[in-house]
Amino acid sequence: MEAEREQELIDRFTLATFMEAARLYEEGVASAQAIDIAMRAGAGLPAGPLAWADQTGLDVVYQKLADLESRFGARFAPPASLSARVEHGQLGIKSGAGYFNY
Amino acid sequence: MYVKKVAVIGAGTMGADIAYTVAMANIPVVLRDVDEKALERAKSHIQKLLDGRVAKGRLSGPDAAQRMSQIVFSADASALKDVSVAIEAVPEKMALKQKVFQELDRLLPPLAILATNTSALSVTEMASVTSRPTRVAGMHFFYPAHMMKLVEIIAGEQTDKDVLDTLSRLSEEIRKIPVAVKECPGFVVNRVLTASMAEVMRFKVEYGYSAEEIDQTIVKHKVAPLGPFVLADALGLDIAWDVAETLQAAYGDRFDPGPELPALVAAHHLGVKTGQGFYPYSRS
Repeated sequence: MEAEREQELIDRFTLATFMEAARLYEEGVASAQAIDIAMRAGAGLPAGPLAWADQTGLDVVYQKLADLESRFGARFAPPASLSARVEHGQLGIKSGAGYFNY
Repeated sequence: MYVKKVAVIGAGTMGADIAYTVAMANIPVVLRDVDEKALERAKSHIQKLLDGRVAKGRLSGPDAAQRMSQIVFSADASALKDVSVAIEAVPEKMALKQKVFQELDRLLPPLAILATNTSALSVTEMASVTSRPTRVAGMHFFYPAHMMKLVEIIAGEQTDKDVLDTLSRLSEEIRKIPVAVKECPGFVVNRVLTASMAEVMRFKVEYGYSAEEIDQTIVKHKVAPLGPFVLADALGLDIAWDVAETLQAAYGDRFDPGPELPALVAAHHLGVKTGQGFYPYSRS
C-alpha cells in the first residue's frame, strides 16, 4: 500500500473510532472513562479512543477531522466536545486537560 | 443486594460460558433450558473448560468437581424459585425474550433482578412485559464470555440504581470489568467497532485493496489487536451485517458497510463458521 493511502486508512480507522466514542460521550450514554474502559476491555484496543485523542493532541485531531470532513463529508465533522476543548486551549496531555485531566 | 443464587436462561454457548464463569466464583447457578439436549451439550462444554484449567495446573481436580457441583442443569422451572439474579441468554428475538421475562417475573421472588444478555434489543421493551420494570437491566457479556473481561451494564428507562449497583458488583465478583451504559442501539462497544468497521469496508471498496493488506496495515500500526476483516469473519458476517443494518437504521449512513458485506452474506459466506468470508478457511 502506498504511504499516502496507508496514512489515510489509519486516519479513517482511528478517527471513525474516535468520532463514535465522542458521540457516545456527548449523548451521555456513558462517561469518558467508561467508554475508554469498554473499548479496551471489550475490543482489546491498546488505548481508549478518548485517551488516544488526548495523547495525539486535540488540535491535531481537530485538524485531521477538518481535512477528512472536506473529503468525505459530515460524518467526520469535528464534534462539539472537541471544538469546545480546542477553543479553550484544552489540547489533551500536552496542556494538562482534554477529555481527561492530567 | 446480596446475590445468593444466579440463574442463566438459555444453554447455548453464551449461556454455558456465563454459567461456568459464575460457578468459577463459587456462586450457585442454575442453567436452565427447555431443551434437555442443549443442557447436555452445555454440561460437556463446561466440563471441557474445567478440564482445561486442571490440565494447565490452574485448578485442582477436587476444586474443578466442586465448581461443577455449583451448577444445576435444569429443564424444570421450579429450580428458579430462590434465584436472586437471572441472566437471560436466549436467541435475539424480542418475542422470545419477552416470553422468557414473563415467565421469570412469575417464578422469581419479587425483588429478584431480571437481566438480559442482549447485544441489540431494547431492555425497556423486555421490562415492559413484567410487573417489575425497575428490576430489569441489561448485562451484556462478550464472546467468548469466559475469557472476555468486559460486561456492559445497561439501564432501561425505569431501572433502579441499586439494581445496576448489584449487577456491577456481581460482575466484579465473577472477575469481570463492568461499565455503566445507558440504553441505545449497539451500546458502546458494538457501536464503536461497527462504525470503524464500516469505514474500513468502504475504504476497501473505494481503492480495491485486499482484506489481508488492510488488516495487516492496521495491525502493523498497533491501532487495534485484529484487523476488521479477521474480526468480522470470526464474529460471523451474518451477525456483523445484522448489527450494521440495525445501527444504520438508528444512526444513518456512517454505519453503511458498502456492498461487499451483504453480498458475502447473500452467498452464505459467513466467515470462519462456513469456511469462507473475507478470507477462506480450511475446514478440517
